[in-house]
Amino acid sequence: MKYILYQLKKHPLAIVGIAVIIFWLIMAFIGPAMLNFTHTQIDSENQIVGPGVNGHLLGTDSLGRDILARVVYGSRSILTVALLTSILSTFIGVILGFTAGYFGGKTDTIFLRSMDILMAIPPLVLSMVILGILGDSTIVSLTLIVSIAFVPATARVSRGVLLTEKSQEYVSAARIRGENHIYIMFVEILPNTTGPIIVEATARFAYSIMMVASLGFLGVGLQPPTPDWGMMVIENKPVIAQAPWAVLFPAIAIASLVIAISIFSDFVSKVLIHER
Amino acid sequence: MNRTLSIVVRRLGSLVATLVVMSFIIFLLVEIMPGDVAQMILGQSATPEAVASLREARGLDDPLMQRYGRWVSGVVVGDLGESIYMQGVAINSILWRRVGHSVLLAMTAFIMFVPLSIFFGVLAGVKENKLSDSIISFFGLATMALPEFVSGVILITVFAVQLQWLPIVSVIPIGESIWQNLSILFLPALSITFVMFGYISRMQRSSMITVMNSDYVRAAILKGMPRKYVIFKHALKNALLPTITIIGMNMGWLFGGLIVVETLFGFPGMGSLLMTAIKTRDVPLIEACVLLITAIYALSTMITDIMYSYLNPRIRFQGGQR
Amino acid sequence: MRRIIGITLLILLIAVPMVFAGGDKEAAEEQKSVRVAEQVPGLITPGVWDGQAFSMNSSIYEYLVDINAETGELDPVLATSWKTREDGKVWEFKLRQGVTFHDGTDFTAEDVKFTIERTQDPGLGHLKKADFEVVASVETPDDYTVVVNLEEARPTFIYQMTDYNMAILSSSYDYAALGESRPMGTGPFKMQQMIPKESAALERNENYWDPNLPHLDRILIYFVADIDASVSMLEDDRVDIVPFITPNIKNRLDEIDGISVISPYQEQRFIAMAVDQEPFDDNRVRLAMKYAMDPEIIARSVAQMELGDGAYYNETPIMNALAEYKEIPHRGRDIERAKELLAEAGYPNGLSVDLTYASDHPFGRELAQTVQELAAPAGFDIRLRGYTRDVYLSQYWLNVPFSITGWGGRIDPSMLLALAFKGGGSWNETHMDEPVINDLIDKIASEVDPDQRTMYYHELQEWFHENGALLNVQVPYLVAINDSIVDYRQPLTMLPQYKYMDIK
Repeated sequence: MKYILYQLKKHPLAIVGIAVIIFWLIMAFIGPAMLNFTHTQIDSENQIVGPGVNGHLLGTDSLGRDILARVVYGSRSILTVALLTSILSTFIGVILGFTAGYFGGKTDTIFLRSMDILMAIPPLVLSMVILGILGDSTIVSLTLIVSIAFVPATARVSRGVLLTEKSQEYVSAARIRGENHIYIMFVEILPNTTGPIIVEATARFAYSIMMVASLGFLGVGLQPPTPDWGMMVIENKPVIAQAPWAVLFPAIAIASLVIAISIFSDFVSKVLIHER
Repeated sequence: MNRTLSIVVRRLGSLVATLVVMSFIIFLLVEIMPGDVAQMILGQSATPEAVASLREARGLDDPLMQRYGRWVSGVVVGDLGESIYMQGVAINSILWRRVGHSVLLAMTAFIMFVPLSIFFGVLAGVKENKLSDSIISFFGLATMALPEFVSGVILITVFAVQLQWLPIVSVIPIGESIWQNLSILFLPALSITFVMFGYISRMQRSSMITVMNSDYVRAAILKGMPRKYVIFKHALKNALLPTITIIGMNMGWLFGGLIVVETLFGFPGMGSLLMTAIKTRDVPLIEACVLLITAIYALSTMITDIMYSYLNPRIRFQGGQR
Repeated sequence: MRRIIGITLLILLIAVPMVFAGGDKEAAEEQKSVRVAEQVPGLITPGVWDGQAFSMNSSIYEYLVDINAETGELDPVLATSWKTREDGKVWEFKLRQGVTFHDGTDFTAEDVKFTIERTQDPGLGHLKKADFEVVASVETPDDYTVVVNLEEARPTFIYQMTDYNMAILSSSYDYAALGESRPMGTGPFKMQQMIPKESAALERNENYWDPNLPHLDRILIYFVADIDASVSMLEDDRVDIVPFITPNIKNRLDEIDGISVISPYQEQRFIAMAVDQEPFDDNRVRLAMKYAMDPEIIARSVAQMELGDGAYYNETPIMNALAEYKEIPHRGRDIERAKELLAEAGYPNGLSVDLTYASDHPFGRELAQTVQELAAPAGFDIRLRGYTRDVYLSQYWLNVPFSITGWGGRIDPSMLLALAFKGGGSWNETHMDEPVINDLIDKIASEVDPDQRTMYYHELQEWFHENGALLNVQVPYLVAINDSIVDYRQPLTMLPQYKYMDIK
């Protein structure tokens, strides 16, 4: 703990990053309760009004919906999808990567070949094609598809980490003791590999947000009226000259969150890897 | 030479194998999607009989393997089939022009971000933890965090709408070719450059830092050789080696970025063609586009790997395992 | 040495695809051209034409008759005169002489016969097949006369020939193979060059039957998927006309000099409630929904216009603009009444229902969200289910309790009534099978006297107001044009008449 505080002092930027993340988490949880308007409320009297007018702190869009409300509600869905995606892809990646690295041989070859194939399509293209074909997405479908697109990366990292650990003495000791494979993999090895895996998971978190936002922009984001930051940008682009705030604020939201998570990810990597 | 050749052959082989499997997966995915292509084509006013007869006419009710076989046998001879919307219009006539445009766009972006990222990455690495490093690092982080469409929208608003220096929409006037309209490349390429700069400069920086901290570099400096000399003569060469791999690793983002950027700017490339194909459920066109993108992506990864093996003396002269 | 070879090969590998990017260079002359930015078309061969790229087809093909954009009357085009016998059971057309197709062949009665009989081709999937099943036979007594014999009397049959899919085709041209890549008709412009999914260049038909038309030399059409991009091109002076814009964009363009937005006609959005299942099988629930609606808010939110000034609302299938329309005063929003009705029907705590719609169709999203918001206070918990248009139409449209669908307007609404509101009709979204209405629809179709017909229409509308399951939101079809364009005409058929157009 003291070590973490010491590191924090050395890297003040990380404090900013963490603060921003905490800010968005708070927004996601209790933000909606603090708002004057809901994210679907249509106010046909107040279409395209600027920030500060008539109680709309960040202005309204062309349907008269409060931008602040939509950005805050949007944080919920994007954080949920990104968090679930990073957890799911890391989880699956660890299982696959560990299995491949541990058993080696044929399992490993099959693993590597399948990952090669999955990686042959750029992740955005894969997600876009599948989601585009399925129609408007839900939180579940978005999470699943993006996780699948990310699994090759997390699996590779997990496999690499496991290979490094495999040759350590405690592993052979456990084998001699007669522990079964699953025990060795997940009870012995896993705790020693949390560092790089957590770093990878936080990196995935940042990438998920970018991916979800881009998918929203391409029109395969969440079902309206659930606000999706990427979709808000593309929805309001035609009126950017009249209502720049409708595009600007979701864009700032996306950028701030990704930057913060990237800074945090860097920091985590410095702290955890130092510890080795 | 033989070493490299065998690597090339091996990789080509695995590339072809990957493509074959991919083609089947793509075909499967696209063919089992919900929604009725025939209904889409005929629109709202179609009666069930009309839809059924169209399905029959286009062979949409044939068994899966038969349709796959038809498609693959076409692809192998270079016939990507016909757009489902256009009997008599070969996909080839639509596709290759767009591919050329996209490659041109990617090249433009390359020319922009590669020198910039390398230069600033090296600079930041050399001046680690000093002010310039912090500025460069933060800038890289910030641009990396801006998805292409966000930076694109900002660029359009500033350069095209307000300043009116560049066209808002990257469309080629009828009767002209892209070579007469090179200005449409600039803003889309710039959007991609932002993101790629972020990724690559950061990796270049850490590569440089690693090299600067390596034993022989430190030894050279301790021995009294001037820092600049050490950097240029020794460190740089080794820090640049992984750059190719770094660029190769991020190619995936480049392709994703191409699609977003082309859609945003209306650029007539493969990405926007894929978007149109998906929106209109043009099954053969989707398959052709995805197959092509996959092929080019896999090819570029392969080229990167080969170049790395070739240029890395350790591998070239000792035949190390990759 | 090897390094040089390797690098050269690499450069070649990259340069070769770029060669394909090169195109033809056109010698630019001083010609009167108009540039249009339209949606990317799907199928364009008449018969299976899915209703995109109107600029292109309306300039290349022609019809027997046109609707006059100003008066709404029928104008002779390829038919110079027509008459009907036996109250609409036999139709005789006299055709224009001296007309040639773009490929040089003469236009004769044979071509009209071919066009009509083609609708029944089982392998084609012709969109007007059902409408033309009533044709018993087509005769061609001479080269310039066509006689169409119908199974039943259809007093308004001639309007069928104005439908955009009934372009007159040449009986000797292979449309199956060439229809998509080389459209060919008798129209004022012919296809010069087309890059699929990207652009089309049309040039003046020198042999057009009217020596004074067209005024323009070229029409250049860009296929642009994104409406915002099209409008940017308009603002940038890269195109002159952009059809199918949204109200948001209209507001944006209002502030720009040199560009105007016109509204040639209205389109309809039917909000349909299925009467054969819960909850809308009870008329009280339907009335409750109607009481929850506020037409003024709908007009403003969806069309960005004031009610009555471009956007309209009623509870019948008849558009406000039509002669047959009867003005029934709005019932006015009454949430209390809505709640009462719901309670009476057995839903004292409100109810939940899915609203299904096509999310990529203009106005779809906005309308769905507005309906959801307006109905909420009355106790309706509406869940929105948006799908892309093809999925919506093929899987959900006729199978859901509550839906929104776009319908084009028709000068003669009787065909629409039969298909959508008669028991057993193939497009019956509301699943209605009401003897009173079935009867009225039959009477309308066969009534010769226009005044009597109008009486039936009024009866129909009154019934719909009280017992119907339909909300009809009429939204404007908007076109943005450069002020240098003169005489832009586009009637309810959706076919712009570019032959009259000129540029200053």
